[in-house]
Amino acid sequence: MGNSIKWETELNAALARAKSEQKPVLMDFFNPG
Amino acid sequence: MSSFISESVVPLRLPYDHKPLSEQFQVKWTPTLITLDADGKEHHRTVGFLPPEELIPSLLLGRAKLDFDLDDFESAIKILEKIVSDHSKSDSAPEAIYLLGVSRYKSTHEAKPLKDAYEKLQAEYPDSEWTKRAYPYRLL
Repeated sequence: MGNSIKWETELNAALARAKSEQKPVLMDFFNPG
Repeated sequence: MSSFISESVVPLRLPYDHKPLSEQFQVKWTPTLITLDADGKEHHRTVGFLPPEELIPSLLLGRAKLDFDLDDFESAIKILEKIVSDHSKSDSAPEAIYLLGVSRYKSTHEAKPLKDAYEKLQAEYPDSEWTKRAYPYRLL
């Protein structure tokens, strides 16, 4: 997916944002090659 | 695409061998995309590449399934209607029609939405697995 997306890299930080922003978390497991 | 993701979800990217999360979520192949609620509970998963025209409806379906699982049928119905109207050619559309029928049934306790879902699936997606799953509803 696009590099302009600001990805979280820690689950707890993403869940905290999800709670405050009332959004789901999209967790993307990828192969960095 | 980037703006849709940034506006609609909190994106979290992890390497496939992340410890302990890859084991916790039993990730076996990439890309694996998982929709979580704010408590970390999984509601939707896809494995393998999705082109942009499939990714957006799949993300919407993930949000709708999250709302459905949390009994927020009103929100689920709005999102599912958007998938059906705006992404009717996507692979997510048949599942959205099925879940829309179930969500409407759960919010009204009337059987007609289930039969409507079957009839729409049979007419527009006769070969879909979701048409098979809705088959019993033809008798309602």
